[in-house]
Amino acid sequence: MDITNILYPIISIGGLGIVFGAGLGFASKKFAVEVDERIPQVRDLLPGANCGGCGFAGCDAFAKAVVGGSANPAACPVNNSESIEKIASYMGLMVEQTERKVAFVKCKGTCDKAKDKYEYHGIMDCRDAALVPGGGAKACSYGCLGLGSCKKVCSFGAIKIENGIAVIDEEKCTACGKCVDACPKAIIELIPVKNKVRVVCNSQDKGKEAKENCSVGCIGCRLCVKACEYDAIEFQDNLAHIKYDKCTECMACVKKCPTKVILGEVLDEGISNKDNYSTEAI
Amino acid sequence: MKKLVERITNGIIVENPTFVQVIGMCPTLAVTTGAKNGIGMGLATTAVLVGSNLFISLLRKFIPSKIRIPAYVVIIASLVTLVEFILQAFVRSLYSQLGLFIPLIVVNCIILARAEAYASKNKLLPSIADGLGMGLGFTLALAILGSVREILGAGKIFDFPIMPSSYQPAVIMILAPGAFFTLGILMATLNHFRNKKVKDA
Amino acid sequence: MNLFILFLSAILVNNFVLSRFLGICPFLGVSKKAETALGMGIAVTFVMTLASMFSYMVYHWMLIPLQIEYLYTIAFILVIASLVQFVEMVIQKTSPTLYQALGVYLPLITTNCAVLGVAVINMNEGYNLIESIINGVGAALGFTLAIVLFAGIRERIENNKILAAFQGFPIALITAGLMSIAFLGFQGLL
Repeated sequence: MDITNILYPIISIGGLGIVFGAGLGFASKKFAVEVDERIPQVRDLLPGANCGGCGFAGCDAFAKAVVGGSANPAACPVNNSESIEKIASYMGLMVEQTERKVAFVKCKGTCDKAKDKYEYHGIMDCRDAALVPGGGAKACSYGCLGLGSCKKVCSFGAIKIENGIAVIDEEKCTACGKCVDACPKAIIELIPVKNKVRVVCNSQDKGKEAKENCSVGCIGCRLCVKACEYDAIEFQDNLAHIKYDKCTECMACVKKCPTKVILGEVLDEGISNKDNYSTEAI
Repeated sequence: MKKLVERITNGIIVENPTFVQVIGMCPTLAVTTGAKNGIGMGLATTAVLVGSNLFISLLRKFIPSKIRIPAYVVIIASLVTLVEFILQAFVRSLYSQLGLFIPLIVVNCIILARAEAYASKNKLLPSIADGLGMGLGFTLALAILGSVREILGAGKIFDFPIMPSSYQPAVIMILAPGAFFTLGILMATLNHFRNKKVKDA
Repeated sequence: MNLFILFLSAILVNNFVLSRFLGICPFLGVSKKAETALGMGIAVTFVMTLASMFSYMVYHWMLIPLQIEYLYTIAFILVIASLVQFVEMVIQKTSPTLYQALGVYLPLITTNCAVLGVAVINMNEGYNLIESIINGVGAALGFTLAIVLFAGIRERIENNKILAAFQGFPIALITAGLMSIAFLGFQGLL
């Protein structure tokens, strides 16, 4: 039994291991990248969803920007106010609380309410369907196509497709804004969650045409504008828009609207538009 | 004792490495040209898996966390060298059939995955049982795949002619594409039954 | 052996992924989007070229003189693991942008069958240093080609309606099988 048979393997492989280990150890010192220790601290206080709602490429990049002073901790829409306070005090910053917003789909043209121009067979993505001349299968070219492009990009599972339109769960929505970018019809808007009176339509068609395409669309009759005593509704391109800072939720417009397109609740008179819109309580 | 049996059945059915976890794909597709090769590879991998789980579980308290991956890899590589010698000496024909893929057992994701996920955190006997279960599950998957490919592609099983003589073997099943198709369709079948079970539940 | 023929055969005729079945795990895993696939491919090319070179050196200048060729598995894997660690450190320091693009994939490459596979193939076929390096580069480029093509197809399939049982891996595997048939056509090339 030749001793070299045992010695050579041990020395050579052991030697290789030691040489590589030493080399790596040396390299880790020489090529050390200095990381500001505050960055991991801030990073831990972030939700880690990597949604991009802050405008940076993920939570790591945002943490780096906060420590570097180029980002406001409150820019993260997903984070709860407690963590934002913690980051702010850690960094020695003053942060003003922004009110919580949620995404809202401005369309209630479900399969039974809105007509289709044709049957669509093709790539099941709103962005692709909207490229077809006419802007998609729905008769109303401003309406929600219900193919789920918004649902695909939502990393919080807050969007469902029900009855042919997108519905957003406001508990889960963090207002990161990805769905707003994904919608080819710009139907989704970020609205302060406390505002309960909302116009659930995106259509710029007038009167008869709007009514033909969808039975619950805004027909541009302006009755709501006249009914509002607080000047909280303005009209643009045959579509009513509510100014959320002026709305007092008096429900006057909700009562006047002939197609019941404005979302709201008037409890004592038994008028409720909730049923027309979604199956979830607001 | 019950835990050991549970570990073994877990590896064979519930968390089957090939059909459920979808890891260790390279040898799965490459060596299943016949049932015999598939089982041979599966058993060799099982031996390495049991051995590596054994040693890593024994040494788990002594290996520092920072260098654990290189340490695991060296242990696995040594075991593979051992298994290679045994195969070369005792089953020469299998050794030449498996060829390149014997040293590649080292980088089989299954072994490192089980070491990292289970053996480094659990006691000796459960780790051995886990290794055995995963290895047997892997062997089963390879056996099924190899059999299907061999029957359709050469009309034989374990070199025993099984199809009627009028059957024209579909040689493509033995070649590279056949592996992809067979595995794809097998996985689709399993998914179908799994979805059905979920829907009925 | 003619270097050009060796190079071409590594990319097309004996494509590492579609003919030799090396590197399947990242092929199925990192091919959901074309950009990540390209990043992975470039990282693999980097590592495989260097690994071919260093594993040749260790084999011919250490293992053969000491007559311990049987330890090639352990030696190669040590070389590859250390190499990947080292490359990751260097890239992180010298080019943060490159690190952002490729850095994530580097640890994955350590257990990539393709890297160890090319080193063992070089050893089995008895290539000299230049041939080993050319084989390494060719193999990596073949891998990159396959993975980028596959990612492109997968992105397209993503938006279509697929039977529930086939969604995910099964349809990906069948696609890979069809690609493999296509690459079989290169057999008569050389």
